[in-house]
Amino acid sequence: MSAPALAPPAPPDQAQARAETRRERKRRERLEERDATIPVELYGLRQGTVTLLTACCVLFAAFTLVPIVWMIINSTKTQANIFSSFGFWFARPFEFFHTFANLFRDVDGDGTYARWFYNTVLYSVVSGVGATVLAALGGYGFARFEFRGARLLFAVVIAGLLVPITLVVVPLYLVYAKVHLINSIWGMIMPSMVTPINLYLMRTFVELSIPRELLDAARIDGASEARIFFRVALPLMVPGLMTVLLLSIAATWNNYILPLIIFSTNNLFPATVGMGLWLQHAGNSGDTNLFPLLVMGGLVTIIPMIALFAILQRYWRGGLLLGSAAN
Amino acid sequence: MSAISLEKLTKVYSTGVRALDGLDLDVGDGEFVVLVGPSGCGKTTALRMVAGLETISGGTVRFGDRVVNDISPRQRDVAMVFQNYALYPHLSVAENIGFALTNKKIPSAERQRRVRLAAEILGLSDLLNRKPAHLSGGQRQRVAMGRAIVREPSVFLMDEPLSNLDAKLRVQMRSEVLRVHKAIGAATLYVTHDQVEAMTMGDRVAVLHGGVLQQYGTPRELYGRPANLFVAKFIGSPEMNLFEASVSGDELVLGSQRLTLGPAETVLAPYRGRKVIAGVRPEDLELGGGAGGAALGADVRVVEMLGSELHVFFAIDAPAAAASALAATAGEAEAGLLTGQTLGGVARLDPRSAVRSGQRVTFRVDPGRLHFFDPDTGAAVR
Repeated sequence: MSAPALAPPAPPDQAQARAETRRERKRRERLEERDATIPVELYGLRQGTVTLLTACCVLFAAFTLVPIVWMIINSTKTQANIFSSFGFWFARPFEFFHTFANLFRDVDGDGTYARWFYNTVLYSVVSGVGATVLAALGGYGFARFEFRGARLLFAVVIAGLLVPITLVVVPLYLVYAKVHLINSIWGMIMPSMVTPINLYLMRTFVELSIPRELLDAARIDGASEARIFFRVALPLMVPGLMTVLLLSIAATWNNYILPLIIFSTNNLFPATVGMGLWLQHAGNSGDTNLFPLLVMGGLVTIIPMIALFAILQRYWRGGLLLGSAAN
Repeated sequence: MSAISLEKLTKVYSTGVRALDGLDLDVGDGEFVVLVGPSGCGKTTALRMVAGLETISGGTVRFGDRVVNDISPRQRDVAMVFQNYALYPHLSVAENIGFALTNKKIPSAERQRRVRLAAEILGLSDLLNRKPAHLSGGQRQRVAMGRAIVREPSVFLMDEPLSNLDAKLRVQMRSEVLRVHKAIGAATLYVTHDQVEAMTMGDRVAVLHGGVLQQYGTPRELYGRPANLFVAKFIGSPEMNLFEASVSGDELVLGSQRLTLGPAETVLAPYRGRKVIAGVRPEDLELGGGAGGAALGADVRVVEMLGSELHVFFAIDAPAAAASALAATAGEAEAGLLTGQTLGGVARLDPRSAVRSGQRVTFRVDPGRLHFFDPDTGAAVR
């Protein structure tokens, strides 16, 4: 009767409470996801169709990835080898570290890549954070408050989506000249902070992920609107905000036309414009030895973006609202 | 003085929809009042107006003698349990329960004491560090209650708090909610669409339909003396049987059958020679045509054995109450629904009764147990 085998199993509460290591959790989540996915065999497609579709996907992936592969391979080459050797294989001498070191020296007095890289980081991070703050406030406001003219205002903002910046270059330049934003970092940062797509994204995100009832509950609980925003809404908006942060950092990071217009001083250039300058030089006089630096510069410029995607993607997992509601 | 009193409370949406029309209601100190009605009857709207989550189109809401119409929910100091619980998913159980106290800037020691006390009342003491995602449905429901009771409110509002629980847990939580109500003694307004919940829990029950209050009284009054056809049909399961009848002398004519009403039925005097709607509760039909009551012959269609009782669905040749009569109180849209199943009636009998489908039976009806309603207005004839 008192045999140990009859000892009651640990109540589920305790079993659940035992800390699950990070690795265990990741493994469990991966397996759960696999179990929740309908296997391809059950889609009712013929094997030939599956193979064909897979082949198309592989081709498309290759098409997108080929330039990056080329860039990685050719970042190890001398200028001569970049032009003369086979583009998709390595060639001696191995110049990777040499070129990498050169990238951060003042090569030709045009301003160095290091400075441009720093500018890119500065513009992207400041405008990215700014864009995220604005999107959080605006998206929440549009999603959860009713006020006179809300629909019209939102429509106007969204209309902004349809106007590419290239179209407004001339008026932008003239306005900037009037308000002394030419050759000012704020001329770069401020317009990058205002992005209709982010506002639209956040509004949709808030509508889908923050129930009105939750905000009502906080009101009943006596929280001020500011406190509701910071303590209740904002923590639940994190996945959406991370998306917005990433998208706006990437947009500024890769922006070429705006800095090209507003900056005329080399040391204000971001990497995109700086390397554009190099490309011009390299094209004008073939012997400047700038091509390896261009390839290396391109590679160094995309790596932070890839890293950022990798780091922030864990916020996409969602499920943050789990447990708030009944089901 | 009432803890909560609603006077001519009205809600008209900007689309012109009149969700609530002149609701008068008072809730005494420590009283448990249930607002019940089918979906769309305005009960949740009424509750949200009391909470301050919905603007008031007309009428007043008073807490004690204080008019709170224009006071924000923050300052009304009401506690509310939401249908979907609305727990803060990123906060622990303790933080969820203590959120209102943090907002009031109550010192940490006092806050923790009150959170622990609330957790104890609700049996949540071991779960205080959990996040809502790691709780069962019943536990989440308790946390939602805890969040409300920790504030020691004088007004307690609940919006269908049990509707997301499975049937068994719901019955369990009914008594739990009442226990908590007794413990804190706050005037409570409880919204549900479930008439069983309303009957079992409410000190008084207000039946709403189409934004209009149909009847407000104790469960016994609602069941025993329904004010109109809607209440008669809504309260009680199986529903009250309703038939179109006419009054001839001191007899009630039901199709080809005549029931002797006895001299007591003077209330029907104005309806002599006219139509009336007669209602009888399923349990007021007894098998066997013995003495001391009117006899009603019926053809048994379906017999449902529930273990503790027998539901016998039968047909008689009297027409079921006409849709138009029900529409008077029920509103056009639902009139059809209400009459859809009344082509006959149902009796609730002893499970040992030997009744089979297809059989011809005679029910004995005590004329004193009959309910009468005006076919035009739907109002009870008393």
